[in-house]
Amino acid sequence: MELLGKVIKILINNLAVIILYVLSFYSFEGVREFPNLLIFSFNLQMIIVYLYVLKFPNHLGLGHIFLAGIINDVVVGIPLGVSSLSYLVLSFFTIYIRHATLRSRMSAEWITFIPALFFSNLVYFIVINNFSHLSFYYVELLRSTFFTFLFFPFFYYFFHYYQTRILKDNA
Amino acid sequence: MADNRDDFIIAIRYALLKKGAKQKFSLFFLISFSVLIITLDKISVPFIQSTRAVLNDFVYEVSTIVSLPGKFVSYLNQEKKNHFKIVSTNKNLKEEIEMLKRNRYNSIFLQTENNSLREALTLITANKTDSPIVANTILDQQSPYLKSIIIDKGTNQGIIKGMTVFSKNYLIGVVVESNYLTARVLLITDLNSKIPVVIADSGVNAILAGTGEKTELALEFLPNEFILEPNKIIYTSGRDGFLKAGLPVAETYLNKKNKLFIRSLADPQQAAIIHVIKGQSKQ
Repeated sequence: MELLGKVIKILINNLAVIILYVLSFYSFEGVREFPNLLIFSFNLQMIIVYLYVLKFPNHLGLGHIFLAGIINDVVVGIPLGVSSLSYLVLSFFTIYIRHATLRSRMSAEWITFIPALFFSNLVYFIVINNFSHLSFYYVELLRSTFFTFLFFPFFYYFFHYYQTRILKDNA
Repeated sequence: MADNRDDFIIAIRYALLKKGAKQKFSLFFLISFSVLIITLDKISVPFIQSTRAVLNDFVYEVSTIVSLPGKFVSYLNQEKKNHFKIVSTNKNLKEEIEMLKRNRYNSIFLQTENNSLREALTLITANKTDSPIVANTILDQQSPYLKSIIIDKGTNQGIIKGMTVFSKNYLIGVVVESNYLTARVLLITDLNSKIPVVIADSGVNAILAGTGEKTELALEFLPNEFILEPNKIIYTSGRDGFLKAGLPVAETYLNKKNKLFIRSLADPQQAAIIHVIKGQSKQ
């Protein structure tokens, strides 16, 4: 019973890391289990990486982000390291934003998510085009990026509430 | 101006090199490591290839387990739909059976006659010895970047890169990556899939390309004057010397708005049990 309690505590404390790995193994693309809602597919990994690196860096290590990217590459079948690089570029911009921001506000962080997403996807796009022979679904990537940006506030409040109220972490 | 530039450089340096309290690696190190992996993967170093094969097997197995709850939800959803379909389908099937009974005798006669004629023309070859390998789909990744499935047979069962994959006797894809325990099948609906085909009743050759949609396909390099008609079956032409000629792949149809489309005969994303066989000649 004590062991179970410890396991549950570890799971609760490392929710972001667990979600990131599960999404990578599952190659999550939003709500693809529901074909009619496929148009709303978004990249939750990007949201988690951005949000946690920005607000709760002690709960999501860069090593985990790198490894989740590698797993995602294997599952999706693209050259190894592409997603990792994309996530790390996103992390780089996020750390820069964190360093340059004096007073954090959700609206400001939502807007700064745009350049972070742009450069992250740009790196993804450049590497795929130059290091593989894969054709690219540009429209889907654009759509996915748009909905990733659009759904950000919802997950922002969700994870913010989780970290500050449930884990009592003062970001 | 100089202060601003200094601040910018300090922020960049901080982002790249500073490790947080619980961070084991700096961002600069991980980015460099990612670039190194991409480069090694690109130049196909044998060590990386074997490592990737092991990594693939491990990740696919874990991914299969992780995707079980999702599959279960899909299964329940599908079962619910199937239940409601059965009643209407049953009625249609009864009518169809009656019609098929009438056609059966005629068909047997034509088949016998066809075999006799093929034997006479020595068209029947020793291909019968190619026994298919039955495999299960363990992962169905509907990624926006690659339409592919992962199957539970690999080089240990004789699956090699380039083998053709069928579902319910219809071509659904080609093996593009073979690991020891698993293999990846590139579906014909993927943008990267290009198959030389011939259109029934016309003998016109073309290239059947994937569109990235669920079952939609497209024909490329059709003659300018050629007008495609609905309800035509599209077969492989075997012109690439790789796929066998005469494998039914797709059909043309009119949608509700009377617009002509091409769809795959099999639904690759519904293929749970598939058959893998060798290609024609380049094995």
